[in-house]
Amino acid sequence: MGNVQMLLRQHVGAPCAAIVKAGDEVKKGTLIATPTGLGANIFSSVYGKVAEVTDDRIIIEPSEEQPDEFVPIDVPEDASKLDMVKAAGVVGLGGAGFPTGIKLNINLAETPMGELDPEINPELPADFKLDCEKGYILINAAECEPGLEHNIKQIEEQCDKVIRGVKYCMEITNADKAIFAIKKKNQKAIKTLQKALEGESAISMHLLPDIYPMGEERAVVRECLGVNLTTMQLPSAAKSVVVNLETAAKVAEAIDEKKPCITKNLTVRGKLNGGNGAHVFMDVPVGTSVGELIERAGGIDGKYGEIVMGGAFTGKSTDFDAPITKTTGGILVTVEFPDLHGANVGLLVCACGGNEERMREICEKMNGKVVSVARCKQAIENKPGAPLKCLRPGNCPGQVKNNMQFKKDKCEYIIIGNCSDCSNTVMASGPKMGLKVFHQTDHVMRSVGHALYRTLKVSKQVSQDIDF
Amino acid sequence: MSITAETAKAHAHDPAVLCCRAEAGITIEPANLEDPAIFDDLVDSGLLNLDGCLTIEEVLGAKLTKTCDSLAPLTADVLDGAKAPSAPVAAAEEEVAEAAPVAAPVAPAAPVAGGMLKIHIGEGKDIDLEIPVGALGGGAAVAPVPAAAAAAVDAAAPAAVGEEKIVGTLTRKHFNITEVKRGPETKIEGTTLYIREGIEADVIADQELVKDFKLEIITPELYHTYSETVMDVQPIATKEGDDELGSGVTRVLDGVVMMLTGVDEGGVQIGEFGSSEGYLDENIMWGRPGCPDKGEIFIKGNIVIQEKTNMERRGPMAAHTAFDIITQEIREVMKKLDESLVVDTQELKSIRRPGKKKVVIVKEIMGQGAMHDNFILPVEPVGILGARANVDLGNVPVCVSPLEVLDGCIHALTCIGPASKEMSRHYWREPLVLEALHDEEVDLCGVVFVGSPQINAEKFYVSRRVGHTVEMMDADGAFVTTEGFGNNHIDFASHIEQIGMRGVPTVGMSYCAVQGALVVGNKYMQYMVDNNKSEAGIENEILGNNTLCQEDAIRALAMLKAAMAGEDVKAAEKKWNPNVKSTNVELIEGACGTKIDLVGNEQELPMSEKRRLKYS
Repeated sequence: MGNVQMLLRQHVGAPCAAIVKAGDEVKKGTLIATPTGLGANIFSSVYGKVAEVTDDRIIIEPSEEQPDEFVPIDVPEDASKLDMVKAAGVVGLGGAGFPTGIKLNINLAETPMGELDPEINPELPADFKLDCEKGYILINAAECEPGLEHNIKQIEEQCDKVIRGVKYCMEITNADKAIFAIKKKNQKAIKTLQKALEGESAISMHLLPDIYPMGEERAVVRECLGVNLTTMQLPSAAKSVVVNLETAAKVAEAIDEKKPCITKNLTVRGKLNGGNGAHVFMDVPVGTSVGELIERAGGIDGKYGEIVMGGAFTGKSTDFDAPITKTTGGILVTVEFPDLHGANVGLLVCACGGNEERMREICEKMNGKVVSVARCKQAIENKPGAPLKCLRPGNCPGQVKNNMQFKKDKCEYIIIGNCSDCSNTVMASGPKMGLKVFHQTDHVMRSVGHALYRTLKVSKQVSQDIDF
Repeated sequence: MSITAETAKAHAHDPAVLCCRAEAGITIEPANLEDPAIFDDLVDSGLLNLDGCLTIEEVLGAKLTKTCDSLAPLTADVLDGAKAPSAPVAAAEEEVAEAAPVAAPVAPAAPVAGGMLKIHIGEGKDIDLEIPVGALGGGAAVAPVPAAAAAAVDAAAPAAVGEEKIVGTLTRKHFNITEVKRGPETKIEGTTLYIREGIEADVIADQELVKDFKLEIITPELYHTYSETVMDVQPIATKEGDDELGSGVTRVLDGVVMMLTGVDEGGVQIGEFGSSEGYLDENIMWGRPGCPDKGEIFIKGNIVIQEKTNMERRGPMAAHTAFDIITQEIREVMKKLDESLVVDTQELKSIRRPGKKKVVIVKEIMGQGAMHDNFILPVEPVGILGARANVDLGNVPVCVSPLEVLDGCIHALTCIGPASKEMSRHYWREPLVLEALHDEEVDLCGVVFVGSPQINAEKFYVSRRVGHTVEMMDADGAFVTTEGFGNNHIDFASHIEQIGMRGVPTVGMSYCAVQGALVVGNKYMQYMVDNNKSEAGIENEILGNNTLCQEDAIRALAMLKAAMAGEDVKAAEKKWNPNVKSTNVELIEGACGTKIDLVGNEQELPMSEKRRLKYS
């Protein structure tokens, strides 16, 4: 095992401050860094010795022996469940990395319904009321980034632990209901859940269509509850808290086992020796290098384009030495990029895909020249420099005007990062206008054997019947 | 792009087209519909076929019976529950047109001038307006009732009308010059102006960046002389005694103008986006407010500035400053001229008309730097001394009186295309200021100059100041004019928005046509007048060709009066169509009973080699 690197910034908020120094012996679960503001505790994920503490990371040289035992979190006997979640350093493992202990610190029973914007909720009756007494825990089981499989596998294999975590979340927040949001295509996981939820009258399932994005927080709220939130509103405006299923499982571990958040489930996939099927690794120590995980999955098969950490839409390019964090869900090795030979390229930036910087990087790797940048009308920058948020995730606002801009700016190609619905709209006019369309996920989709994002062939509505 | 409920209402009678894929069973709402503003382009490119397409008001609330893709026109066969169309707006407009003659007792049997007043505007692209002429005085064919809309409004609120008030006067004493010669000293004898031999050395010595300077006297026989690009044309004028600019007495020479031309040491013309170098008679649009009139003598200084300073601020500034040495020497001589040489005296009055519709003219002037700058309020008309550079003032709005404008308060370093730039002489003869000042139906309260900065953030900084400035004037209407086109249209649009959002109807004036089509727009840009004169609608590097002329000022005033009277304007034709302007002019002539003399364009000039190669 190579050195383990624990980044001091693994979540939303300020970087943590290291509380160990070079030479210190650490065990699995030794607290090594604490928050300086908004944040969460960071623990060593291995037994070993601190080799170096730098500005942004703690480097640990692991011991030969790595027993399963860990140091339990240091909380008083009478600590509340919320305190245990906080102490364990649990953060949103779906990718956002918001500290779970802060997210769950809400009493949904006493949280008023927020004001709903009628402009984006035209179909809601004036006397709309949620179908709950106190509030909802919505479990994000959409696993929306194409090609990833570790979330669904966890439902199939650790369903009880996930449900236990969900119940703890309900208890902590005073929610009286919970809904699993899961794509209908995951038939085995749905059957497993269905069986496990027999007799659980407070917990139900909502089936999602197989389009991108369904796992966006406000998309989950809309799909489960029928309420559209503005880009500034949190799910609490719909008396809800959205948690990823893997996060729920970590909540259960923190409370039942006093286990700190030191491992991560993830999917390694792509242009690998042995084919492009998913390699799901459960409980990988945080801080393990990308290169080590690729080797575990069989190693790269010949030449490759880039390595993506995270999903195809929202992930970023990475390299072999980079460590995984509490929020890493995927390591995707892609096929080589096409060569556009310096052709003029337009970028359609939106909230669903990479930011402009990432889109420019992809264009550069394709040897294109960016001559025009447009932004989807629904991509809202809540404040200058903040990440874009989609006003109505998965429901297109029209794209032909952007295509007209690209045409006017003499683009030969365009690269889009849009959701299924918007990509479909781009395709309705782009090719007819003579624009050759690439999607920023194309190289990843080719690598994992997934259909490219172009025209939409499935409905955005699925029946809620478990009819398989 | 999908539209809002508000846009849907505004476009109720326009075709309904899906912006995105929509599944069978949904109820059509504004968010499902594409913005009709872009349909023309889509139809042109074959992407859209609107045959059988229902209107937006018909489809809203209807149920889609079939899953349709983006850009599908909504037709009756894919909808359930489409509404019946309401009467289109046009019918209401006709009613107004017919009603007007009845209300005009002076000419009960007058033929209805009728029809539509078509006005050419641009928003994002060119737009044509149709205003019911009835509102402009239907019976005018018999009795030349002064144009109309404002009169009608005044009649509705007669109590507020007050006495005319003269708030300032400016006397122009004209001295005639028939000959310009060189001599041992600068002097004027009778109608002959002598310019000191060797004055060139003083010009060169004045500014470090000035590397060479030549003075030529261009008489009409010499118009076919090759010249570098014309940087500026200036009147030769001076104040009497201690009189301040914009008041008192100004002495001006007739028959002669100062003309500054120039290049840098590398031979690069001091201009951007075109330059007017070539034979003078092939490149100057005679008689434009900013240009020389045919028959005038040019005191033409050709300046050579340090290499590569043509696009730096200090280059053009040095050229103008040095050239003013000569003008100033002439001004000193003029101050001493005997009154007996005065051939004409003209008194300009600044008149306020309390109770009439209060209007303000906002003139956007260039402020991006280099030659895109203006010296504001010099001591002498179009002088240098005492003036502050627009860029140094931060391009913020500066309020001046109409008489200050006409007394040369702008020394223009000018701007981009030769055809649309407003040179110093333009302000001296500014047609919109003159027309508005003389129009008895409006109360011109003043002129606001605002610079056009380089950076967008600064553009919006100054446009917000313009909005507040106009707000505190309590103006009923505003004009926003600009020179050049392209980048400056961003703030031009923003000025109109900032004024318009305060409920003040605003007429925009710019060269647009084909090449200068607006790059941005907003919902307040409903009233637009295109200053284009060129045959092809382009910037063809003919000096002054597309600048604001009297005919444009007349159209703009008629339009603002209609706008202030609350008349609706109809949406525009998609492409620039020169016939719209001529139709409008005819309709104004018909309504007002006056003849509007239209100026010519480059077709009257001998064809230059450059124009033949580049623009024909």
